[in-house]
Amino acid sequence: MDKVMEAVDVVIVGAGAAGSVYAAVLAEAGKSVLVLERGPARKLSDLYSSQIWARRLKWSSPEVVETGPDTIWFNFNAGRGYGGAAIHHYAVWPRMHAEDFREKSLYGKGLDWPFEYGELRPHYDKVQRDVGMSGDATKEIWRPPGDPYPLPPVLVTNHGKVLARGFEALKMHTAPIPMAVLSQPYNGRPACIWDGWCDAGCPIGALANPLVVYFARALKAGARMQSDSAVSRVLTDATGEKVTGVEYYTSTGDKVIQPASAVVLCAFTVENSRILLNSANSAHPHGVGNSSGLVGRYLMVHPAVSISGMFNEDMENYSGATGGQLLCQDVYPKKSDPGGAFGSRQWEIGLALKPNDLLGIAMTNPTIFGAELHKFMADGARFMGSMVGVCEDQPVRDNRIEPDTKQDRFGMPLARIVYKQSDDGRKLWQTAAAEGVKIFKAAGARDAWPGPPAGQHIMGGTILGTDRTNSVLNATSQSHDVQNLFVGGPGTFPTSSSVNSTFTVHAVAMKGAHHLVGNWSSLKG
Amino acid sequence: MENVTRRTFVETAVKGSVLALTFTLPTGTLLLTPGEARAKEVPLRKLSAETAQILEKLGETILPGATAAGLTHFLDHQLAGDPNDALLIARYFQVALPYSDFYTAGAKMSEAIAQKSAGKGIAAMSTAELHTLVKSMSAPGGVVAGFPIFLFYMCLRSDAVDVVYGTPAGFKKLNIPYMQHIMPPEQWNG
Ligand SMILES: Cc1cc2nc3c(=O)[nH]c(=O)nc-3n(C[C@H](O)[C@H](O)[C@H](O)COP(=O)(O)OP(=O)(O)OC[C@H]3O[C@@H](n4cnc5c(N)ncnc54)[C@H](O)[C@@H]3O)c2cc1C
Ligand code: SF4
Repeated sequence: MDKVMEAVDVVIVGAGAAGSVYAAVLAEAGKSVLVLERGPARKLSDLYSSQIWARRLKWSSPEVVETGPDTIWFNFNAGRGYGGAAIHHYAVWPRMHAEDFREKSLYGKGLDWPFEYGELRPHYDKVQRDVGMSGDATKEIWRPPGDPYPLPPVLVTNHGKVLARGFEALKMHTAPIPMAVLSQPYNGRPACIWDGWCDAGCPIGALANPLVVYFARALKAGARMQSDSAVSRVLTDATGEKVTGVEYYTSTGDKVIQPASAVVLCAFTVENSRILLNSANSAHPHGVGNSSGLVGRYLMVHPAVSISGMFNEDMENYSGATGGQLLCQDVYPKKSDPGGAFGSRQWEIGLALKPNDLLGIAMTNPTIFGAELHKFMADGARFMGSMVGVCEDQPVRDNRIEPDTKQDRFGMPLARIVYKQSDDGRKLWQTAAAEGVKIFKAAGARDAWPGPPAGQHIMGGTILGTDRTNSVLNATSQSHDVQNLFVGGPGTFPTSSSVNSTFTVHAVAMKGAHHLVGNWSSLKG
Repeated sequence: MENVTRRTFVETAVKGSVLALTFTLPTGTLLLTPGEARAKEVPLRKLSAETAQILEKLGETILPGATAAGLTHFLDHQLAGDPNDALLIARYFQVALPYSDFYTAGAKMSEAIAQKSAGKGIAAMSTAELHTLVKSMSAPGGVVAGFPIFLFYMCLRSDAVDVVYGTPAGFKKLNIPYMQHIMPPEQWNG
C-alpha cells in the first residue's frame, strides 16, 4: 500500500524561483502549502565561497538524455535542492520588451503570448519592489515602461569602465545592469559586498535567491518545505477534470501519495514536462494536460557567447557581482541583425571572474596548457575582461522533451531531449561573437576571442497561449484541461526573447498565483 | 541576516583555506590536502596505480605543479565517494555515472593514442612527447574511436586548475584576494 499523507490546499513541486513566488502568495492568502523538492534541504549557511564547492548545487546524474543534434546544457542550467538553479543564479534581471510578447502578430515569426507587456508590467513592478532591484531605469534607453528601480545601480569597477569604452567607440550605449542584488541594505537584508561569489550562492542574502525573499515569506506564513521528495506523477480524478494531488518517492524509494486541492508544477522546464507526460491515465492518455499534444514542445535555450580579452590595464575583474556591471541592448530590435537573422540580442558586461570553474579564467581558452597556462592565469587574473552575449532562440515545434526508454531508479522514464538550434539563433550567435571581439578591440584589448557556443536559460515545453490549439497553459499559467493545475517557470514562455528569464519567471508566477488565490473557491478540487 | 556574522576576511584563516579531505591510512583517518596525501603515499581507493600514473603524467603536462598539489589523490577521493557529494566539474558536463569509468576510459584512450602516435606508453614518454600528446587531445570537440577525448582533457585540465588555483592558497599565487563570505568547512568532503 502506498502511504497517503494528509491533504493540503496546495502542493508546489520544486523549491526554486517559480515555486517560491507561488508559495509566498498562496501561504500569505491563508492556504496550507507544501513544497516538495527532489533535492536536498539547504540553508544560506551551506553556501560556501568556493567554485569547487558550488558543484554540489548541481545534479550528479542528470535524468535527461540529450540526443542532439545540439545540446541544451541541461546540467549547467538546472539546479538541485532548496533554491533550485536560482540559489546560485546571477540575478541579471532585465524585463522582456513589448514586442517579445507579439512576435507572430508583428513579424510573422515565432508565437504570440496570450497577453501583452502591459498586463505583466504591474507584476514586474511588484516583484522588483519585493526583491529590491538595483539599476538606473533612465539610462536603460531600451527598457519598456516600468517603475524606477528601488535601489541605485550595482558597482562599476575598472572592468566595466574599460569595456564601456569599446561600446562608446562603436557608438553603442551601455547602462547599469538591472540586478536583483542589493546595492544598499533593503528590508533587513544587507548590501552586496562585491566579492563575485554569486555563482557559489550568496550566503548573506544580498542577492535575491528564493530562500531569502519569497520562501522566507512563505515559511513565515506557515508554508512547509520538504526535501528529498521526487514527484513522479500528477494525479487526477476519474473524469480527469481535476487534479487530486501528486505521487512522489522518498530518497529511500518509498512511494507516497500527497492529496491536494491544487497542484503547481515548478520543477523547471524539462522536469515539468517529464512529470506531465509520465502522469498519463485513462482520462489523459497522452499525459495530464496534454490534449494539445504540445507538452514538451517548443523547447528553447538562449544561444550565448562569452567574450574574453586581455587588456593593458588592471581590470579589477575579481570584484563586482558575477552577472556583470553594465548592459547593452542596442542590438535588441528583432530585425537589426546585419546578416538578416531574426531576433534580439543583449550584452552583459564586466562579469566578475574567478580563476577556476566553467566560467573562470582558465576555461576561457581551454586549448592553452603547460607553462603557458600559468602565464595565462597570471595575465588573466589582472588583465582579463569578460562579457556575455545572449541571443534569442526561436520556438520550433520539433524541439522537444519526450519520455526516454531508460528509467530512473523509481521507474520513471528519463527525459529525452531532441533539440536543434534554430537557424536564426545560430546566425545571431555568430554575429554576436564577431561583434564582441570588435567591441573588445575598440576598448583597447591586446587580444580578444569568443568562447564556444553555449546555452543559457532553458525555456518552453509547457507554453502559455490562448487555447489548446496552440498551447498547454492559459494566460494565468493554468492548464487548459485541468483547472486546478498550474505550471511555473521559464517552460511557460512561448518566445524566448534574449533577456535572462528569471525576472519574467517571477512576474508570470505572480500573475498565476494571484489568479489562483482570487478564484480559489471555483478552481480548487 | 543569517551568517553575516560568520563572514570573515581574515587572510590567515586556516579553517577551510586549503582543500582538506579525509583520507584513510592504516593508522587511522587524517585530514589532509590532496598534496599532503600524495606526499604521505596514502593508498588510492578507486584508481588503479596504472590509471593514476597516466592521469598524473597528463595532469602535470597540462598544468605543471598539479602532481605536487595532489591531482590524483583529489580525483581518487572524489571518485570513491558518493557522486552527489562530488566536487568535480564532470557534473557540469553531464558525464555519466560512475565518473570513475570516464576517467579510466580517458586514461586508456590516452594511452592508446600515445602508443599509436609515438610507439610507446605514456609512462615512458619524454616531456616533449607528452606535450605533443596533450596538444593532440586539446583540439576542441575531438573524439577518438567514439570517446570524447577533448571532454576528458577539459575535465582533467579543470581538475588540475581546481587543485592548483581553486583554493585561497591558489588565489594568493595569482595575487587576487579570495574575499570569502563563508569558507568551506575544514573538512572539504563535508
Ligand atoms: C549559473 C546560473 C546563472 C544564472 N543566472 C541568471 C541570471 O543572471 N538571470 C536570470 O534571469 N536567470 C539566471 N539563471 C537562470 C535561473 O536560475 C532560472 O531561470 C530559474 O532558476 C528558473 O526557475 P524555476 O523555478 O523554473 O527552476 P529552479 O529554480 O531550478 O527550481 C526547480 C526546482 O525543482 C526541483 N525539482 C526538479 N524535479 C523535481 C521533481 N520531480 N520533484 C520535486 N522537485 C523537483 C529542482 O531540484 C529545483 O530545485 C541562471 C542559472 C544558472 C544555473
Ligand atoms: S557579489 Fe554580492 S550578491 Fe554576489 S555573492 Fe557577493 S555579496 Fe552576494
